[in-house]
Amino acid sequence: MALEKQENRPVAEKGEHIIARHLIEDDNIKEEKNLVIDGVDVSGRWNTFILSRVDSEFDRSFFKEVKETVVGSRINRCWQCGMCTASCTVTPLYRRFNPRAFIYMMQLGNLKEIKKYIDVAWRCVGCYKCSQRCPKQVNPAEMMEALGLLIKKYFPEEVKSKLKVDEDVKKIYDDMIVGHGRLDLAKLHTSAMQKTGRTKELIGKIERDAIFKMAKDGRAFSILRLGKPHNWSSSKEAITGYLKNINTIENGESGV
Amino acid sequence: MDKLSENQAAYYPGCALLTIDRAYNNSSKLVSKKMGIELVEIPDYNCCGIGEMKSKGAASMYMPLRNMMLAKSRLGSKNLVMACSVCYHEFKRSIARVRENKNELEAVNSIFKEAGEFGEEYAPDGDARHILEFLYNEKGVDEVKRNTVNPLKGLKVAPYYGCLYSRPSMYTFTDKKPQMDNSERPRFMHDFLKAVGAETVFYGNEVQCCGGRNLIQDEETSFTLCSQTISKAKKAGADVIALICPKCAGALDVNQPKIVEKFGKDSELPVVYLTQLMALAFGFSKKEAEFGDMISNPLKVINEKGF
Repeated sequence: MALEKQENRPVAEKGEHIIARHLIEDDNIKEEKNLVIDGVDVSGRWNTFILSRVDSEFDRSFFKEVKETVVGSRINRCWQCGMCTASCTVTPLYRRFNPRAFIYMMQLGNLKEIKKYIDVAWRCVGCYKCSQRCPKQVNPAEMMEALGLLIKKYFPEEVKSKLKVDEDVKKIYDDMIVGHGRLDLAKLHTSAMQKTGRTKELIGKIERDAIFKMAKDGRAFSILRLGKPHNWSSSKEAITGYLKNINTIENGESGV
Repeated sequence: MDKLSENQAAYYPGCALLTIDRAYNNSSKLVSKKMGIELVEIPDYNCCGIGEMKSKGAASMYMPLRNMMLAKSRLGSKNLVMACSVCYHEFKRSIARVRENKNELEAVNSIFKEAGEFGEEYAPDGDARHILEFLYNEKGVDEVKRNTVNPLKGLKVAPYYGCLYSRPSMYTFTDKKPQMDNSERPRFMHDFLKAVGAETVFYGNEVQCCGGRNLIQDEETSFTLCSQTISKAKKAGADVIALICPKCAGALDVNQPKIVEKFGKDSELPVVYLTQLMALAFGFSKKEAEFGDMISNPLKVINEKGF
């Protein structure tokens, strides 16, 4: 069941049966109505041809940037077998989410292509099926995090417009995890709902029932008692200091 | 604080288990105690990072490893037991990485030094244990059988392992011992459920993902994945789904009313934690196992079956 709306980059009838059709530009597909080659009629399925594409102007420094991060340190090992895409949980739902292609784009430093996938790149659910099955232990699940870092650095404008929800939620997580040392799930839920403009749902029947249930059996009050780890401020300072001083793209200051 | 005795283990509760998922917390403690191991919470624990810190370099490894240091310095325990699969994954990931990679260990230790909370540096010797794997390896199936006083005869359970309990093997298999579960087809939960007298069903989505990570940003994906899992389990004839992760509970249990609203009655099935079922079989009451906490109402099935 594909959840993806096809509006962004419509899959034309042209070349519809090509797997990973989204990777090919419309102009590069040649389809003839009636085609005869060497006296053999190949009309129908066999008459689709893909023109070979030449990509140039790669930025190889890009590869180095990924390699230096913790999550992307194994990018050089990938040999493009496609096992990650084959085992991906998200790909059946969002056809344009293709880990193999993303890793390839990162290896080449092909920013132009990466830009087209900003809206799906963050959809990884982190189930690690790809990393489990990868024959070269590239760890594609974490490579998607590296892709996120790159997008954040090179396309801050697009991140602000297209990925606003994702960034807002990440910010809430960051504030809680680093700022308080513990996660207040009730606060996380409500503030995320507020940020995404879904406050109305909070007073809907389903949410109200759940909140009422938790207040009744006392769980709502245990959330209030969760508190903060003792001496967390020293850890917080150490972490923020570390994030400021690293000189890879993991640096909190770069990008957005 | 006193150091641990032989029958005690250092326990990392995590943020979810102390608050909304107290059912899992309480029943884990009950079951472990019955099986002869007392779980002792580490004081001053901090969040493991729940995967949202991964792109922040060594800071993501500092979060779990600070808890390992706490266990060592306060309770004198090298190993740390936890029940949440997401926490388990974060711990395992950090430990595997710093063992393999000297640079990353140095970076983590630089943060430890900066924070100045512990006098010593982190030495990668201890390990993180998931409660399921821990009980399986330390006590075994026979101990479960011996403690079962109220066998769950006739209850058909669909075991749901989720993603991060067994995957990826590059992180979970850090040592030869203890024996870890198979990454593609785990079986520890099956063994435990059979030991308490329940039946397990095969439904094909045992290690499928619930989409819990993007639950807030991307509900649609999570709902679709969850409805697939629930309806498959229902089709296979399961009465309940058994979980070992609070994040899966967030997706499958707490959100179930919304999933049913969207995908229909096929996606309605009671969800419980494995340890709740074990506690019930060990003779604890339904109140003690906190069955009432679950939103998907497992009490109805449990009462119908007469346990």
